Amino acid sequence: MSGCPGSKTIDFSEKTNQEGSETGKRPSQLRQWPIQMHLVSPQAPYFQGKDVLLAADCSAFALGDFHKDYLKGKSIGIACPKLDSDQEVYIEKIKSLIDNAKINTLTVMIMQVPCCFGLAQIAKEGAEKASRKIPVKQVVVGLEGNILSEEWI
Amino acid sequence: MENVLNKEIKEIIDACPEVGRILDEYGIGCVPCSVGSCLLKDVVGIHNLDPEQEATLMYRIEKAIYPGRNVPKPVVDKTKKSAPKKISYSPPVKKLVEEHVLIKRLLALIPTIVEYIEGSIKVDKDLILKCVDFIRTYADKYHHMKEEDILFKYVDEKAEVIQVMYKDHDTGRAHIRQVVEGAEKGNKAQIKEHLFGYRDLLTQHIKKEDEILYPWIDRQLSTTQVGEIFRKCNEADASVGDELPRKYERFIVELEEKFLQEVAK
Ligand SMILES: [Fe+2]
Ligand SMILES: [Fe+2]
Repeated sequence: MSGCPGSKTIDFSEKTNQEGSETGKRPSQLRQWPIQMHLVSPQAPYFQGKDVLLAADCSAFALGDFHKDYLKGKSIGIACPKLDSDQEVYIEKIKSLIDNAKINTLTVMIMQVPCCFGLAQIAKEGAEKASRKIPVKQVVVGLEGNILSEEWI
Repeated sequence: MENVLNKEIKEIIDACPEVGRILDEYGIGCVPCSVGSCLLKDVVGIHNLDPEQEATLMYRIEKAIYPGRNVPKPVVDKTKKSAPKKISYSPPVKKLVEEHVLIKRLLALIPTIVEYIEGSIKVDKDLILKCVDFIRTYADKYHHMKEEDILFKYVDEKAEVIQVMYKDHDTGRAHIRQVVEGAEKGNKAQIKEHLFGYRDLLTQHIKKEDEILYPWIDRQLSTTQVGEIFRKCNEADASVGDELPRKYERFIVELEEKFLQEVAK
């Protein structure tokens, strides 16, 4: 096996260990628009003093309970550290979220593939550049939607 | 078993010392605890054992208390202690753990300081009062107040573990009052007794916080609460200024230089 694990083809359509319930309606926990990191503004009212989730684009699709367990109660910015351009802008926006929007915490959610750790790096750099300090948490999501780790960094 | 779970641990151990030995095997040190009013169910719950370990522990405790009873044995027997897990703290709790380090450095110097006091003709009151100032200002005002006024407010303050922590803080303050009295009167025995009393108390207290209490609190906190506690602790630190922790760190360094040389002589 060689090549980039971030784009390697894997098929787990045969997965059988499906616990959980499909009944009932789950409302969206999204409370803002836009959400893409190039489109959001740190001045937006929905960021002020909030807990912010910086999520890798793929994570919301992988994680079955993304809305209920991670988006609920938070504001969000999404990005792809592999494909997006001008990522220095992201660092500046995170700095501004911390210093100007005075966000309460930052949770960066990434996929387990190595290239996705770039997003955690962006979060760290933004947090280091900021003069205010806040707790930053990293959540790593497995390809099959399992949480591999969740820790303060 | 249900009613045993709701009994105070001291009562259980007094009636059946074997339970204390079993708990000790699992790294649960209730025997030397000064209060012992935690309920057995909380004692076990708070240590976050894996489910098999917990089942085995409960089985062994029940067997020890009721030897005649036919207790079903849990399937997996993991009597051995698991390898110590590395504890990962939330940022505000981590800061409190780091503050413990400076306090422990003073505790480590107490035997040498006591030896020095005992060996000198006149009690070095100035030295004692400087140590007291460190304890009262850094350990108590700067550190314990963040625990009491901020962190503990985020969990059930009536919980026995928290009550034990409050009691330890108070007992520590009482020891220090006695140390001051000893220094005023030039009473070496009084100084010795209460400096050692403080050292033993705080050593256990810090260990309990680092290994049991803080991880227990962290497990209950939401992300939002972690952010809030972090901000409140930073505000509390800012209200006393950056200079305060630096000043007391310098004090400990000087004390170490003085007394480590003393030992080397
Ligand atoms: Fe404490
Ligand atoms: Fe403490």
